[in-house]
Amino acid sequence: MIERTPLLNLVTHLVLVSGLVLLLMPLWIVFVAASHDFHTVNQVPMPLWPGDHLAENLAVAWQKGNFDRVMVNSLIVALGVTVGKIVIAALSAFSIVYFNYRLRMLVFWVIFVTLMLPLEVRIVPTYAVAADALRPFQAMFDAVGLSVDLPEWNLLNTYSGLILPLIATATGTFLYRQFFLTVPDELTEAAKMDGAGPVRFFLEVLMPLSKTNMAALATIMFVWSWNQYLWPLLVVTDHQTFATATMQLQKITPGPAFGEPPIWNVAMAANLIVLTPPVLVTILLQRWFVRGLISTDK
Amino acid sequence: MEKRATFSNLWLAAALVAPQLLLVFVFFYWPSGEALYWAVTLEPPFGGSNQWVGWMNFETVFADPKYWNSVRVSVIFALLTTALSLAIAVLLALFVDRRLAGHQIYKFTYFIPYALAAPAVGLAFRFIFAPDAGFVSAINRVFPNLWNPALDGTDALALIIMAQAWNMAGYNFVFFLAALQSIPRTLVEAGAMDGAGVLRRMRDIQLPLITPTLFFLVIINITDSFVNSFGIVDITTNGGPARATDLMVYKIYSDGFQGKDYSLAAAQSIVLMVLVVSLTFLQFRFIERRVHYS
Amino acid sequence: MTRVSFLATAAAVALSAGTAGAAERIKFEYWYGLTGDLGEVMAKHCQLFNESQDKYEAVCTGQGGYDKAEQNTIAAYRAKQHPTIVQIYDAGTVNFMLSGAIYPAKKFAEDYGLQVDWDGYFPGIKNYYATAGGEMWSFPYNSSTAVFYWNKDAWSKIGKSEAPKTWAEFGEDLKALKAAGVECGFAFDFDTWQNLEQFSATNNLPIASLDNGYGGLGAELVFNTTAFVDHMKDYKAWLDAGYAKIQTAQVGKNMVQAFADKSCASMITSIANHGTVKNTQAADLNWGVAMLPVIDAAARKNSLVGGASLWVMEGKSKEEYEAAAAFLKYVTASDTGEKFMVSNTGYIPVTTAGFEFLKAEGFYADPKYAGREIAIQSLTASEVGPLSRGIRLGNFTSIRAQLRSELEAAFTGQKEMQVAIDDAVKAGNDILRRYEQTYKGAALP
Repeated sequence: MIERTPLLNLVTHLVLVSGLVLLLMPLWIVFVAASHDFHTVNQVPMPLWPGDHLAENLAVAWQKGNFDRVMVNSLIVALGVTVGKIVIAALSAFSIVYFNYRLRMLVFWVIFVTLMLPLEVRIVPTYAVAADALRPFQAMFDAVGLSVDLPEWNLLNTYSGLILPLIATATGTFLYRQFFLTVPDELTEAAKMDGAGPVRFFLEVLMPLSKTNMAALATIMFVWSWNQYLWPLLVVTDHQTFATATMQLQKITPGPAFGEPPIWNVAMAANLIVLTPPVLVTILLQRWFVRGLISTDK
Repeated sequence: MEKRATFSNLWLAAALVAPQLLLVFVFFYWPSGEALYWAVTLEPPFGGSNQWVGWMNFETVFADPKYWNSVRVSVIFALLTTALSLAIAVLLALFVDRRLAGHQIYKFTYFIPYALAAPAVGLAFRFIFAPDAGFVSAINRVFPNLWNPALDGTDALALIIMAQAWNMAGYNFVFFLAALQSIPRTLVEAGAMDGAGVLRRMRDIQLPLITPTLFFLVIINITDSFVNSFGIVDITTNGGPARATDLMVYKIYSDGFQGKDYSLAAAQSIVLMVLVVSLTFLQFRFIERRVHYS
Repeated sequence: MTRVSFLATAAAVALSAGTAGAAERIKFEYWYGLTGDLGEVMAKHCQLFNESQDKYEAVCTGQGGYDKAEQNTIAAYRAKQHPTIVQIYDAGTVNFMLSGAIYPAKKFAEDYGLQVDWDGYFPGIKNYYATAGGEMWSFPYNSSTAVFYWNKDAWSKIGKSEAPKTWAEFGEDLKALKAAGVECGFAFDFDTWQNLEQFSATNNLPIASLDNGYGGLGAELVFNTTAFVDHMKDYKAWLDAGYAKIQTAQVGKNMVQAFADKSCASMITSIANHGTVKNTQAADLNWGVAMLPVIDAAARKNSLVGGASLWVMEGKSKEEYEAAAAFLKYVTASDTGEKFMVSNTGYIPVTTAGFEFLKAEGFYADPKYAGREIAIQSLTASEVGPLSRGIRLGNFTSIRAQLRSELEAAFTGQKEMQVAIDDAVKAGNDILRRYEQTYKGAALP
């Protein structure tokens, strides 16, 4: 658009630049902390300019955190959660918005309420379920007097145990619902007139339209599952095989116990390693939902 | 929200929601139900025999002024963080969407704070907000004791509000920008032809068209500030000083899992859940009517 | 039982090469709460055990903190997935004693032929982890106590070369330090471990009735009626007069940082921070440690042990217990256990034998470690009496949290000190009554 708004443009730039400084300050501090030696980083105040120990700290952190292995685990888990959530949430939202049945509001709320009680609050019983995922069904069979013996399905120290409980939340369903509601009804009618059934409509009309939302959801889910900390720490006891990258931060980050020297430089270097994949994913996926990446505005 | 042209194959509809419902049942409702059962019993930490106590746990919760303090703090926290982070995010998204020179840089960087893990955020905030040593120490030098979150409850609350708003701003920005980008360019251009200025177009064309996203984000931000604020409090203030930042979810965690009083925590979880669900329900009833779909 | 030695050597070589050539070893799980650098030390200790023999393998898992280690163990126990051995911090002792989920240490040692000299532990440590009847239910491991850290140069400005012995003397010193231009004579925080618990023990003051809870679950808090209140009032007066400063992580630097970078001249904290101060101190800081000041120097009692102990959990196989016994033997022995822990961290030896062993090796003569023997002196300063034995109160972590936030209110002027401490006692007693009711019918061992 050809408009001359010099004053507004100046304001725009000022706002955007200060937003950048504000939002990126913590990242800068992490970077600076990761580039100093032990003594410098523990000075108060800490220097604001990077030092020259970055490579050395990164190497120490990489080796301490066994990152060769755990990065792969984290990737599997994050991809599993992301893909699982995108698919399952799209299906359920499609059912809730596009099908006419009496229980659909109830179903929506049943899914939606899961946003209201975080894992921190129900972690002990959730762990018990993860130790035997068929337990609820067994208990129900027992309650109604059916003598069915289900096998024990232990999810501890498995990828499923890391992935499945994290998929069981409502963010994705809600997001799709919000989006589906904005899709004009004319599209559905046109598809119906062309003789398309629900499956074809879903695959050929709805999904292509949802690309930007999917990409946004994928980004959020990838980052969110990558940064999970409390749950993996509980489900994984076989750290050699199943540890995730974020879990390694607990090995490196000093806790509140007495007598721990605060090795912030190495901890922050580990942090840099851990945050790189989500940042990369964000940058890559944003191509999908932010138009005009290469072309400037015309 | 009724869609006119809906399908009516019930079996298919059921099959489509089945996976989600199954997961939600096994990993959410079953465990939550178990936790809620504790609310009417006294549950020993290691399990074993628990005793039925009826409403006793709830009475203990409601009789405790410290509990009401945490409700008050949580409500203030939820309202202010949501307003602050949405305002920042929508402003940034609208301006980035103007696509002036250099806008690509912002698109890719505003989201990054969301990717930081808790310890990094902790260190950063310690550094930025420490009254003696951080950035704000400069302010304290000019006005002594103006800012001290370690001792002043209001400052501490302000600190966690800023931290949460900052954490969510990138998240909100992503969704706002995605929504703005999906508005057909022709609509905005038509507005420009009609002589509407940039700000006018934002107000009259772009903002109304992204209300579904705004509604989504309001709900997500409010529930998030109630239920997912644990990390921020744990890193920065530990609920202090003198309980000025003792949010409901933090209190549940500290009473239940640090204090090992599962039953008291379960009773508080129920109250929290009822509160957030009814709040959300009200928003659906009254706000969603004004949301502009299709 | 006996194996050919070349097998052992082969296994050790295979392990150190990083391969898992130990399929036939008996494995057992050990969970620990130490994190960061201390977590590394812990992991190393496990590795050394695994390399030391070829029959057993300890699978050691850090849980990301003491509180999480306790919490995760409880969750795991409820799902029957708990480890064989777990490291539990001092404040979790009561929960584990009442849990019905553990294998008492003394009985375990007898059943699995573990030779333990139960009287070899320092009495202050032994009593803390023993039942009222004096029987040990867990194995003391990483242990510490509180000591007074002081900047010798600051004190020499007021013409003194020794740390204050009594609180009255300390108050005078603070005043003199201020007059001599020392900006911050004393750094403190609201942690109750040194301010309430160590203070009460060393001065023979009760925290709760029934011998601080050792006598049963019916104990009531009484610390609002002791000299503790005046002690906190003194702190407040020092703060107001500018003699002392509050130093917490929220302020920007905690006590240890403030002491190490010379901005505050003294503090009271765990001996385990000795190493941290050494590693992070300003180059020209001339410092030492001393026993805590007391009210009456002639009536000093021993200070309390802090840290964590190792608990054996019930419900495991005989093989796993044999493996666990071998592990416990290794990590608690003077040479392979205590010496390793003490020389790699700031913790102290837990047995007389371990202490003598280290002394004979010249450990305490090394300037890097000099002063750490003060902690042993403090722990053994007197016969252990009913009030210096420890604190055995249900849900003690919550009581600590209550007192802490009431102290915050008092030190920021929102409440009068006596009122704040009264409120903490009231809230704490509510917690104790709930605990008693939850464990109705149970009695402390």
